[in-house]
Amino acid sequence: MKDIKVRMTEKYPINIWINEERHEKLKKLGLADMTEDVLAGMKVLRLYCTDDQKNQLLKLYPMAKYDSATTKSIELLPADAKDEMFELVIERKRLDVIEEFLKVKKNLSRK
Amino acid sequence: MERVVSSQSQAKKLIKGLKSVAVTGRIARECINIAYGFFTPLKGFMGKAHINAVCEKMTLTNGTLWPIPIVFDIKEEVIREKTIEKGNTILLLYRDRALAILEVEEIFNYDMTKMKQAVFGTTDAKHPGVKMYDGFENTFIAGKITLVNRPKFQPPFDKFWYTPKQMRQKIAEKGWKRTVAHQTRNVPHSGHEWLMKGAWFSTNGEMPVEKLETGILVSCIIGPKRVGDYIDEAILLGHQKLHDAGYFRDDIHLVSFVMWDMRYAGPKEAILHAIIRENLGCTHHMFGRDHAGVGSYYGSYDAHRIFDQIPEGSLNIKPIRVLEWWYCPICGEVTYSGLCGHSKERQAFSGTMIRSIIQDKVKPTRLIFRPEVFEQVMESAEKYGFGSPFCTEEYLEKRQPVFKLPKL
Repeated sequence: MKDIKVRMTEKYPINIWINEERHEKLKKLGLADMTEDVLAGMKVLRLYCTDDQKNQLLKLYPMAKYDSATTKSIELLPADAKDEMFELVIERKRLDVIEEFLKVKKNLSRK
Repeated sequence: MERVVSSQSQAKKLIKGLKSVAVTGRIARECINIAYGFFTPLKGFMGKAHINAVCEKMTLTNGTLWPIPIVFDIKEEVIREKTIEKGNTILLLYRDRALAILEVEEIFNYDMTKMKQAVFGTTDAKHPGVKMYDGFENTFIAGKITLVNRPKFQPPFDKFWYTPKQMRQKIAEKGWKRTVAHQTRNVPHSGHEWLMKGAWFSTNGEMPVEKLETGILVSCIIGPKRVGDYIDEAILLGHQKLHDAGYFRDDIHLVSFVMWDMRYAGPKEAILHAIIRENLGCTHHMFGRDHAGVGSYYGSYDAHRIFDQIPEGSLNIKPIRVLEWWYCPICGEVTYSGLCGHSKERQAFSGTMIRSIIQDKVKPTRLIFRPEVFEQVMESAEKYGFGSPFCTEEYLEKRQPVFKLPKL
């Protein structure tokens, strides 16, 4: 029971790496402070998933995995999927875009 | 000492009328290693007495230090079908081409639980080395190997291939009195670069500095790959780019490779790596954290400590033991964990994190990854990796072989 509760509240990050071009876009929208400096000036934007969203993403992208050992993040997502997530952040000016991303993907697969 | 026939006509004469057996990639690579002297003093695949000594005392039967059995496994049915017996000489084929001859000295079975426990310290089937041993056939052949066909390495591997004899000549040409080996299976980030630079300082020690006589040998491990590993070409060319872009001087740095199927045997494998690099002419070998380890089977520095347990004089290569290098935002540089006092603020190099950045094709900051190396990795992805710097199913299926055997 306790395990289930922990899983339900746990957040699973996706690391969107920020180069200069992306940083400029974020800066223009006043979102640059949403990034974290993780290694020698390398910036990352962390998008958090729920357990259910994580599972949906791993199903959608079977090559991706949740790295529970080292980074504790969802890794090996295709670069274009992350590009789309970043563009959604820019469009919506917020970080909780995973639900919408999944919805778009589901609609596309239905078509 | 090499065990390679000198001419094609001699090879043709030697193999005429021999029974032939097809071998796996691992055995082919080990035949090449034995024949060229990477595994000196081994002249062939081990018999039961040698394996017992390796498992029980970490030596060959004559007391020479040796940590991991080198074995030729074969299906019992093949031995029966081909009527292979002690005293026969058989021809080994790799991808349908003649590779080597094996003088059959012994045919035997072995207690694999004993071998796994001795080499890996575990029999857990999840350990990748144990998994490899679990895939071995049930019978072994011992005997001397002679290469009858020299492998022809394909570009870009051909530029980096040196046999132990050639490497010793190369080291002599470079005028290196000391050579430190850096073993790797990664494209280099700045943490790796500084590991090598730190190892160079340790190795150079009291040697003169006006005329440099210490070199770094980057000795990449080329072996079987899994989806998600860096492609071999990106590893070799990435290291060479550090050299070409001047992050290492031409006179103190050389990139090459060794073909070896990693056992992930941690400390035992560290000893084997030291023996191979000693055979290549190295005087020192750098060992970092978790050398040849996997999961939590070994302590982070077990591969350092094992060198305290071997008898003095049993190795002619010195281990250079190093801790981590990290990025410190207070110092504003990549620095050594054994020197930097800002352990709370440190930003550790994580291989997984760097891979994630490369996967996203986002150019990392130059402090953590040299831009020239990044560009080289991306170029290798296009040229060799079907668009990816990491092994994909497509790469594993369609990649060009590391070497080919000419038709005899």
